[in-house]
Amino acid sequence: MSAPVRTAHPVCPVADLPPGGRKIVEIGGRSIGVFRLEDGRFYALRNRCPHRGAPLCEGRRMGLWTADRPYHRALERDGEILRCPWHGWEFDLTTGKSVFMPEGVRVKSYPVGVEKEPETSVENFDVSERAGMVVVWLGD
Amino acid sequence: MKTETQIDSPAPGSTPAPPRIRVVDTDVHHNIKGKEDLYPYLSRVERERLVEYGLPRNTGLYQANGGWKGARADVFDAGEEVDPRSNFEMFQRKLLDACGIDIAILQVELTPSLVALADIDYSYSLVRAINDWSLEHWVAKDPRYRLSITVPLQDPVVAVKEIERLGDHPSVVAIYGVCGSARLYGKREYDQVYAACVERGLSFALHFSNEGFGMNPPPTAAGYPSYYAETYLVRPQFYQAHLSSFLFEGTFEKFPQLKVIFCESGFGWVPSFRWRADAAWKELRWQTPWVKKLPSEYIEEHIRFSTQPFEESNPPEAVDQIVSWMNGAKTLMYSSDFPHWDFDPPDVVPKRLGAEVRRRILADNALAAYPKLAGLAGS
Repeated sequence: MSAPVRTAHPVCPVADLPPGGRKIVEIGGRSIGVFRLEDGRFYALRNRCPHRGAPLCEGRRMGLWTADRPYHRALERDGEILRCPWHGWEFDLTTGKSVFMPEGVRVKSYPVGVEKEPETSVENFDVSERAGMVVVWLGD
Repeated sequence: MKTETQIDSPAPGSTPAPPRIRVVDTDVHHNIKGKEDLYPYLSRVERERLVEYGLPRNTGLYQANGGWKGARADVFDAGEEVDPRSNFEMFQRKLLDACGIDIAILQVELTPSLVALADIDYSYSLVRAINDWSLEHWVAKDPRYRLSITVPLQDPVVAVKEIERLGDHPSVVAIYGVCGSARLYGKREYDQVYAACVERGLSFALHFSNEGFGMNPPPTAAGYPSYYAETYLVRPQFYQAHLSSFLFEGTFEKFPQLKVIFCESGFGWVPSFRWRADAAWKELRWQTPWVKKLPSEYIEEHIRFSTQPFEESNPPEAVDQIVSWMNGAKTLMYSSDFPHWDFDPPDVVPKRLGAEVRRRILADNALAAYPKLAGLAGS
């Protein structure tokens, strides 16, 4: 009957996670990687590759290499693909879906946001952003 | 936990109850930090040559690998510029301790580039150096390590010299050779190598590499692949060629004690190879009458297969049937291939196979495959 319970778990002050950065944290017994892209967007993924259990979030952020025909490579979405540090399985950082089988193989993705602390919640957006906490929401 | 599983180097005199060995890792790749590490082990003329020209490189065909620079991307603990294969402390932490490895058999990363050189004297000087360096800087510093010594198999006479020089070291358990070779390893020139191995209780660990490099023939007899993924997939053919040679040259009739370890060969192909080899022998036996038994019997007795990269079958449980068909309970041995990018942790061996089979694959089969480990107790 009741709506799913979502709990916000603090990760770090937003200043500690600059654009392009990542933090790997332990929340509720789970290791979770929190990423901030260069344009400011936040994403969080479970730090465990569904293949062999590698610490996925220690992998490199890459772009999506594509080819519309053999030998003609193109790079899209630079920085939005996470490549597993062990066997190279690629995941979409923004959804947790694998590149090779998006619907069949994926890693858990969590919503991330910045919670402004009440005392610093002034009109100036930048100030409150800097003063806020990055939080990850975990479902029930 | 760690002290429970640690084992001591063979010591003369008293023999306390040996600890149980639960995991043996049969394929681990350490390396030097740089060519300077070898200088103390070289004569002046060899050192000057190494200073001037650097280490021989064997990556000319592809200049690519998996992971990051061929290694797991999460093991560059000493920074981007330091080869993680040279990070002794990281190996202890991320392989031996993290994976509960009781014995790890080192097979140095540098080997391939040293043993495809046509100049056998320079090759051998570098081989001696890397073996002595490995014993001094890795094996002597952690009792869990054993070493497969590099031998310059491009010249069997010189290879025997290195076996005679180091083969009686208590931590040397095998010779380390690569599949890329001017000759197939069943050829009778190699009999002297196997005689020297058997005499000292050494196995022959055979690992892909060097195909098409240096003085060796191309990586496939059908042409040069363009991409790394292709070379990854064609590896079984290297092992199949050497295996056919061992079988029909009668190597195992000549050396009934010899064990050959196929490192990183994959194993999904083994059942069909056994069937085809048995069929061929029944039809063609008269041409090689010194082959007394079914090829599958020789394979089961003499060849051991390291598990990594563990076959990923579809459906997943299909691999269990392959394990059964090749008698993997006797012939498979766990390997991690650390710190390479296609690393497998010990739990890659499926629980579905049952506790007894897992125990054999993780430890007991290896203890039986290397005569010098035979005295250790499995789990």
